[in-house]
Amino acid sequence: MVIHCEHLVKVYKTAAEFRALDDVSLDIKKGDFISIMGPSGCGKSTLLNILGLLDEPTSGEYLLNGQPTAHMKDGLRSRTRRDHIGFIFQSFNLMPKLSVLQNIALPMRYGDMPRSEILPRARELLKRVGLEDKADNTPQQLSGGQCQRVACARALANRPEIILADEPTGNLDSKSGADILELLQELNRGKMTIIMVTHDEKIAAGAQRIIRMKDGKIV
Amino acid sequence: MKLPDLISTGWAEIRSHKMRSFLSVFAIAIGIATFFYTLSVLSQRYRDIDRSAQISGKGRVDTFIEKPLSMDQYNMLLRTLPEGSSLSLRTGNYITNAIYKGRVLNDFAIQGVLPSFQDSAFVFDVEGRFFNWKDIENKHRVAVIIVYPRDKEKRDFTRYLFHEPGTEQTPLADLVKRVNLLNQQISINGQSFTVVGILRAPTVEKDFRIARDMEHNQYIFIPYSTWYDIIPSWRDYFETFIRVVTGSESKTGKAVSSLSSFLRSQFGSDFDPIINPFRFQLKFARQQAWINLRSMIFIGLIAMIAGGIGIMNITMAVIFSRTREIGIRRALGASRWDILFQFLVEALLLGLCGAALGMVLGYLAILHMADNADQMTFSWWVVAAAVLLALATSFVFALYPAYQASKLKPVDALKYE
Repeated sequence: MVIHCEHLVKVYKTAAEFRALDDVSLDIKKGDFISIMGPSGCGKSTLLNILGLLDEPTSGEYLLNGQPTAHMKDGLRSRTRRDHIGFIFQSFNLMPKLSVLQNIALPMRYGDMPRSEILPRARELLKRVGLEDKADNTPQQLSGGQCQRVACARALANRPEIILADEPTGNLDSKSGADILELLQELNRGKMTIIMVTHDEKIAAGAQRIIRMKDGKIV
Repeated sequence: MKLPDLISTGWAEIRSHKMRSFLSVFAIAIGIATFFYTLSVLSQRYRDIDRSAQISGKGRVDTFIEKPLSMDQYNMLLRTLPEGSSLSLRTGNYITNAIYKGRVLNDFAIQGVLPSFQDSAFVFDVEGRFFNWKDIENKHRVAVIIVYPRDKEKRDFTRYLFHEPGTEQTPLADLVKRVNLLNQQISINGQSFTVVGILRAPTVEKDFRIARDMEHNQYIFIPYSTWYDIIPSWRDYFETFIRVVTGSESKTGKAVSSLSSFLRSQFGSDFDPIINPFRFQLKFARQQAWINLRSMIFIGLIAMIAGGIGIMNITMAVIFSRTREIGIRRALGASRWDILFQFLVEALLLGLCGAALGMVLGYLAILHMADNADQMTFSWWVVAAAVLLALATSFVFALYPAYQASKLKPVDALKYE
């Protein structure tokens, strides 16, 4: 089991207490391709952030590759995030001042990879997403679909086992959305675990399993 | 993230915000310039004092008494001093009456000295010869004249303003520049003296004596015993400079006590001259140099704090505007330390640029403001201290904002618009 969650609860203490996640239990095996669907505010992104170690649950247990994450110190949490998880965001989250190639290289710079291997690996990934001629462009010079492909390449930089995609097609036209889905499916065929949050039924249907959420619970 | 990546990331950020970066760098540079200037001038002054100590000889003791000392007393005193000591006497009073080929000389002083005058702070090149002990023993009518180099000569316009026709006098300084007086006769107090030596003084830049030694009065020296002989009527108000050079700092205490007890034995038990070991004079000179410059250090410190606050302010603003970027970096695997280091390295780079600019400004200030700027030699430690100070200031003032940045939760930073 790559991901094992039991009774995850996330409470935001604002003016009133808000339970973004309410007793969520979930098992995900290696090589699964899962879509999480649900209305806005149902807790999809909160769940994804907790699975990606960007946030911590208020209570409950989350085991990543059999390892409890509850009391991980920041260093180990960051290393785990860097080595095991790749993120794809709806708004791409590319660094506007860096070139496409440098954006892809960025996660590797936080790792132990020798400096001489970083740019060749980034070029290889860029080729894999079909943008090898855009290496020196900045993100502003690319279309939305191209930006998301760069983000996919960046997510793959440190050879993670899990890809977490938060509405990866949300800002794209249907053709580009379909391209990204195809890319994710291709990665999944290579035994990569993919967890994708989406609103789009058609995109969600591309996954092996759909998890539906409502009011912080899996329904 | 590895250091080269941190540096290139930091440098790219600095370059992409040129005006903001320049203001931080400039604030640091002002402080560094002040420090660089002050420390350079101070270290140069200390170096000069050290050189002065070297040429003055080790274990020097000076005193001044308003009494005459005869050559018999000289010999008695020398026997009480630590072995190997040099003892030099010099008259404190002046004779100012001399004539050369019918020309009345002025603007000079005649002093009696001993051959041991050469044993301390003797920076002169000798043309001819200096006195020997035979001159002293036989009270020879010989003279030695100091000639100062022409380069630092200042025009004395008052000489022309107060000129009275019919009273032509020749300043000795002018005469020695025009006429080589070596082996010439001059009349002092009505007695004829032969000039046996010319002492050529170094230029001001090459004269490393401390201020007390560095008199630039125009002197004619004659043997101490001769001076003492030709003005017998002055014995009642005779003044004597006494200088002992023991050759070792450890003998200084003994020299002071010997000198003190000898003078008491000669002039009464309540006779209490001020006896100055030369190292106290050097210490005083060092203290004086520090006192003259410490206010500059204080101004530099204030400027550095202002520069540091500038760096802090800008780092905080940078973090505010780059919160989302911090979130992205955290999502991609950056740890808290990575974020902390990234902002610290950026601030340190600003500090380094500030140090470089500050040293250039400091150097220009030295060229235009410092005394003897052309003599200034720059110490590596001043450069190192300036760089370290700039780095330390940047580090200290960037630490808090960088720590705040590292504490941001990835999920919150990512949501920041």
